[in-house]
Amino acid sequence: MSQRTASNHVRLGLFVLVGLGILLVTLFLLGRQQNLFSRSFLVQADFRNVSGLLTGNNVRLGGIPVGTVRKIQILNDTTVRVVMNLNRDAQPFVRKNAVAAIGTDGLVGNTIINLSARPGPAPAVQPGDVLRTKSPVGIDDILSTLAVSNKNLVRITRNMTSITEKLNTSPALWGLLSDEELAANLRQSVRNTAAATALAQGTGEHLHAAAHDVKVLTRGARQGRGPLGYLFTDTAFAGQLGHAARQLAGTSDTMATMLNGLKTQVRTGEGPMSTLLTDTTFSRQMRQSMGHVAQGTQDFSQTMQALQHNFLFRGYFRRQQKRQARAAAQPEANK
Amino acid sequence: MSANALLAETGALTRFTARFFREGFRPRYEVPELLYQCYVIGYQSLPMVGITGFIMGMVLTLQSRPTMAQFGAESWIPTMVGLTIIREMGPIITALIFAGKIGSSIGAELGSMRVTEQIDAMEVSGTNPFKYLVVTRVLATTLMLPVLTILADAIGLYASYVGINMKGVTTLALFVNNIFAGLTFGDVLPAVIKTFFFGFAIGLIGCYKGYYSDKGTEGVGQAANSAVVVSSLVVFIIDLVAVQLTGLLGLN
Amino acid sequence: MLAPEPQAQPTATPPAAEAVLTVEHLYKSFGDNHVLQDFSLTLHRGENVVVLGKSGSGKSVLIKCIIGLLRAEAGRIVVLGQDVATLDHEAMDRLRAKVGFLFQSNALYDSMTVRENLLFPLRRHWLDHPRAQEGELVMQALEDVSLAHTADMMPAELSGGMRKRIALARTLILRPDIILYDEPTTGLDPVTAREIDHLIREVQHKYGTTALIISHDMSCVRLTADRVALLVEGRCYAEGPYDELSHRDDPKIREFFA
Repeated sequence: MSQRTASNHVRLGLFVLVGLGILLVTLFLLGRQQNLFSRSFLVQADFRNVSGLLTGNNVRLGGIPVGTVRKIQILNDTTVRVVMNLNRDAQPFVRKNAVAAIGTDGLVGNTIINLSARPGPAPAVQPGDVLRTKSPVGIDDILSTLAVSNKNLVRITRNMTSITEKLNTSPALWGLLSDEELAANLRQSVRNTAAATALAQGTGEHLHAAAHDVKVLTRGARQGRGPLGYLFTDTAFAGQLGHAARQLAGTSDTMATMLNGLKTQVRTGEGPMSTLLTDTTFSRQMRQSMGHVAQGTQDFSQTMQALQHNFLFRGYFRRQQKRQARAAAQPEANK
Repeated sequence: MSANALLAETGALTRFTARFFREGFRPRYEVPELLYQCYVIGYQSLPMVGITGFIMGMVLTLQSRPTMAQFGAESWIPTMVGLTIIREMGPIITALIFAGKIGSSIGAELGSMRVTEQIDAMEVSGTNPFKYLVVTRVLATTLMLPVLTILADAIGLYASYVGINMKGVTTLALFVNNIFAGLTFGDVLPAVIKTFFFGFAIGLIGCYKGYYSDKGTEGVGQAANSAVVVSSLVVFIIDLVAVQLTGLLGLN
Repeated sequence: MLAPEPQAQPTATPPAAEAVLTVEHLYKSFGDNHVLQDFSLTLHRGENVVVLGKSGSGKSVLIKCIIGLLRAEAGRIVVLGQDVATLDHEAMDRLRAKVGFLFQSNALYDSMTVRENLLFPLRRHWLDHPRAQEGELVMQALEDVSLAHTADMMPAELSGGMRKRIALARTLILRPDIILYDEPTTGLDPVTAREIDHLIREVQHKYGTTALIISHDMSCVRLTADRVALLVEGRCYAEGPYDELSHRDDPKIREFFA
């Protein structure tokens, strides 16, 4: 413990020297980085906006640090003068026509000044020179585009405002919206419509059955087998059949048109819709008519069935059934 | 501790500080003792401070890596760790370790000297014990803590370099360049200057607690303990003041 | 080297010599605790005076006032013709070089070897002494206390009695005119304590020093005192040779000699 010897002093000296050495080297490196110890000269540049530039920020030429910002002062309301400290070493490479621009170091880095060379010969910059400047183009462009968009947006919102105002001031709409009876009617009509479509579906099924029968019949007729041949020579019967089918097609066409119209009116929700929807008699009538259609097709189907059982056709149909049974049995036998 | 006692303690400490400045800069100067104390306080603390600094740098690097990697900013680790260590972690951690090691040893040493009448013995031996014991130690802590901090910073940054190379590759030159690129005088100078104050506070409080320790061995323990507690607290307070001051001076 | 003498001569010196230390009407208090109240005492060259008092009666305060470690509130202390209260720092240091002080707890510097402990007051007080003599003086002082072999040991390696003797050597190295002993035998075993008592006598005879001894150890008082002063209630209650006091009938005196 108590060795107050010379070697202790040597160790202490080494300890202190190393510590101070590190400090001095650090300070020197920092100083060299900030050009405190190298020879330098001053140039100036006037900007409209320096975007938060601080004294000590870097000045770069072609991306290489050549100096630092020494002083920033406001000359008048639109001009900020920036005094830059440039390395003597960089002097030959900075021309009098170089342009200074404010930039940033990376996305979130420090603000810096970029010096960029212009085409054309010019002498090297001299101490005290004022460099030309360029406002940061990219951002300005973006801002001007943004201004146009903003203007459009303003117009749109103004239109929007007038629309909503009109809507707001329209007593008809508000009456409509606040009418509870209307809602009830609406519900009722929708229910009726549902019933109507259910009926329509039923009708469709009958129609399908009838069509099937007709198909079978016509196939037989076209093949001209059995007693069918002469039946089809009977033009009066064929005319009647055609007439019935035409009428059927007409009915279903009308129905489709009507449904379409209804759909459009419901979807758009304007014009005579409200009256239409509130009109329960209409939907009742519609249901009635649909009922009639259904009955019609049912009758038609019955007629066809009766036709099947007619003595004239019975043989044909029986053969048909047999063939079908055979056709069904054959693939099973093949297996 | 009641408010009254706290105020009395503060007042006594202030008087002690005033006495340091009154007596410290008048002859006779205890230069050999100062050098010896510098050796004990500075050089002999280096292993402790060095180990702490190394671990600090290593841990800081390894801890910040996952977060930095999330932002894809792994190349910023040297800059961040460098700034953290040089500005804050190096000074404060070194000061706290120093307070623990040196503050307590000064408190205990002077306390036991007081209790066993060694301080009185010095006085009757033609020596001003305040100059011989207090001034030399306070000066030694004031001068040595900055040196220790700088060395701890250096060791910590080297550890950070090692830590980066454990999971990636970087060269020492790039690492150093990265650190210096993010560094300004405003980062280094306040950090160095405040360590002088840290050292001064640690030495002064340790000496004060020891010099006025109560009779008995219990008093010695108390002196050592409260020297560490109070000086650690004061270090933090000085740190707060320092950050405010550097902010006011525009160095932040 | 000190041969243990079975019996010293307590009343050999007649009190005719010059006064080297005078304490007159000394007052000292700590808060409400009035330790010294109108204490007076005179030491003559070459005599050993023991101040006898109970624990906490202010004996240590008295010698600390004499050496200037404490300041008295009133009264006068004249040491070797100099009024302690009027001395500045440097004059006080010069005076202290002539007054040795043996602390109750020895006050050896733990961080220094025995040799460094002895050199400390030497180098501090005698700034211009020839360095060549240092070693000789140290060895001389150590031989006086018969511990020459301990020069390079640390105080922590020594026993209590040895430490006491080293502390005495440290006061002797300056060849003081007066030595103040603060309870020199407290905390020592009886055998070691007697060795110290004889050493005190030895020093007195060898160097002709005047000694003020603070004690409550009656054996120590009997062996070392030419004169005894009783410190009771802050005053010098009685004073006289040991044998005379021990035969007085005053109850306050009998308390000590019982």
